[in-house]
Amino acid sequence: MVQPLSGQAIYVILLRELKRFWRAKARIIASVAQSFFFLALFGLGLGGFIGGFRGTTYLSYLSPGIIGMSLLFGSVFSGVSVVFDRQFGFLKEMLVAPVSRTSIILGKILGGAATASIQGILLLVVAGLMGAFTPTITFVIGAIASLGVMLLITAGFVGLGVAIGSSLTDFHAFQLLSTFIMWPTFMLSGVFFPIDVAPQMLQVAIMMDPLFYGVELLRWCLLGAGTPLLGPFGWLIALGVLGGFTAAMVGIGTFLFSRAQV
Amino acid sequence: MKKIKIIEVNGLTKIFDNEVRAVDGISFTVEEGEILGFLGPNGAGKTTTLNMLSTLLKPTSGTAIVNGYDILKDPDAVRRSIGFVFQDPTLDTELTGRENLDFHGRVYGLKQDVIKERIKEMLEVVQLTDRADALVKTYSGGMKRRLEIARGLLHHPKVLFLDEPTLGLDPQTRRAIWEHIERLNQEKNITIILTTHYTEEADYLCHRIQIIDFGKIVALDTAENLKARLQGDIVGLTFKEPAEVLKIRPLLEKIEWIRRIDAVAGENNHAAMGRMMQMMSGMPEGLGGMVSGPPSSSNDFGSARIPRQVKENMALGMTGVRDQQNLHEATRLHLLVDNGGHRIPEIVNLASSSGVVLESVDLHKPTLDDVFLTFTGRSIRDERGSFAETMRQRRIIREARG
Repeated sequence: MVQPLSGQAIYVILLRELKRFWRAKARIIASVAQSFFFLALFGLGLGGFIGGFRGTTYLSYLSPGIIGMSLLFGSVFSGVSVVFDRQFGFLKEMLVAPVSRTSIILGKILGGAATASIQGILLLVVAGLMGAFTPTITFVIGAIASLGVMLLITAGFVGLGVAIGSSLTDFHAFQLLSTFIMWPTFMLSGVFFPIDVAPQMLQVAIMMDPLFYGVELLRWCLLGAGTPLLGPFGWLIALGVLGGFTAAMVGIGTFLFSRAQV
Repeated sequence: MKKIKIIEVNGLTKIFDNEVRAVDGISFTVEEGEILGFLGPNGAGKTTTLNMLSTLLKPTSGTAIVNGYDILKDPDAVRRSIGFVFQDPTLDTELTGRENLDFHGRVYGLKQDVIKERIKEMLEVVQLTDRADALVKTYSGGMKRRLEIARGLLHHPKVLFLDEPTLGLDPQTRRAIWEHIERLNQEKNITIILTTHYTEEADYLCHRIQIIDFGKIVALDTAENLKARLQGDIVGLTFKEPAEVLKIRPLLEKIEWIRRIDAVAGENNHAAMGRMMQMMSGMPEGLGGMVSGPPSSSNDFGSARIPRQVKENMALGMTGVRDQQNLHEATRLHLLVDNGGHRIPEIVNLASSSGVVLESVDLHKPTLDDVFLTFTGRSIRDERGSFAETMRQRRIIREARG
């Protein structure tokens, strides 16, 4: 049986995520601070050692990747938390309401994407204050476009989190999730070095990482250029791959969530 | 007034993983305005039954009609007809009481002015008006429960399902919740189905009690009628050591005026605590796993949330249905006899002549506890294998639900 989508339910769950997020200021600060440490240590520390970096500073090169990291961790955990929310939380109550599960999970994905993206924006501001970007008109337009990219990245990874969460039955598996999915995804996303200098094996692995395309897109938006490997229209390729990933993950996550029983 | 059947259950069955019959072909009806209690040990199938009646879980076979709607054919209409208060807290503790109610109303598609009015009404019913705008994490256990009940009623359901409504609450709060439930039932004529493993809760609240064990209904009647089925007295014998029980039991079984013998685990709190600690240490997935789970990005695991299994074990240790699994550890026997007072000397004589040390002897009229023991007691358990087997089955059921 197909139940119609309920805009009201999607809105309510999104609203709830935003309210909770807004009230958990300590968590926001901790999350942004963690990324700030990365930027300061590597961007300023390692960057000072490296010096100039392909016409920009290492800090500038690093910033989109660190924003990507923050988006990744925020959104996957938000997605996985759906499982707990459904078994022990508020979401369980929603499941007996006369609305479809698809509406509920879409609301949750939107909410997770929105809150993780807000953290990304905060980090963008922090990186800007550290001098990672040159405030030109082009940059401002790019920064606005990067908001859309952030939503796309986070929606995809919340979807992935929901899919993983819906299939897990063992709480121990979360350790594995972190070790075998989150960290490789982060490390292979081309955060620290341009992939064209990497050995070919590594390049192949990097090309299979969806976050790599997200970070590439952020670089295009914020710095105006990406890796030469993808060519002058690399952003279009990145947008295509990321869009496909996000659509697939939202679809799979929604399907697995709707299928699972209490 | 003509009684209306508000729930008709027909051969409802749920099999998990093709092997565990959590609910095994049960049928019953509930009349409008009735409070029906499902009484049974953990893992008996109470919650699974509620989950099926509320369309959360698809039955393996059989069906039910709730408020005139089939749970299989018209789940949305069923959902609109019911309210559900879960065993695990399902409030968002980062939101205020009012926000929790507001979100519920919106998801049920109520209009804003209706929601405002109903929130006001429901807060008054559960006496939370003055705390409505505080975050739920500042509420006490009893307040949270009351808020959940208010939320379950916000959309004016015909039937309210309460899964272990007073689990883990202190006796005073428990009584207060009972009074709320009773008032709701009387003033608003809401049909209430609750599950419990506290016999005193079933005794106090329920018009009829349905004893469930291993997924089957073993009895369904009023508390009075159930108790009346056990005519006679219960003579309780307490021993120092389980070994004494094993020694005297065969002798007692030969006596014809003893109509029934039930082994009961020791009642003293040390034993109960010991059992509880043992259970806690023996379940790494339960306690350890959940508490150290993922970062609590959306849930409050840290805030004194005890895993359900531990809570249940605690409750079991303190009161309610006695733990019958540890039969070989039993230090108490209940004998069902006529004229108990006159039989005590004979029993004491038998004990001393066979060298068994009795610690104490007591006499009482059958309670619901005894009824429960009779229907679900030793004779059923012994066939079903060990304590470990029962735990394993429960774990399977739990995981299958996950």
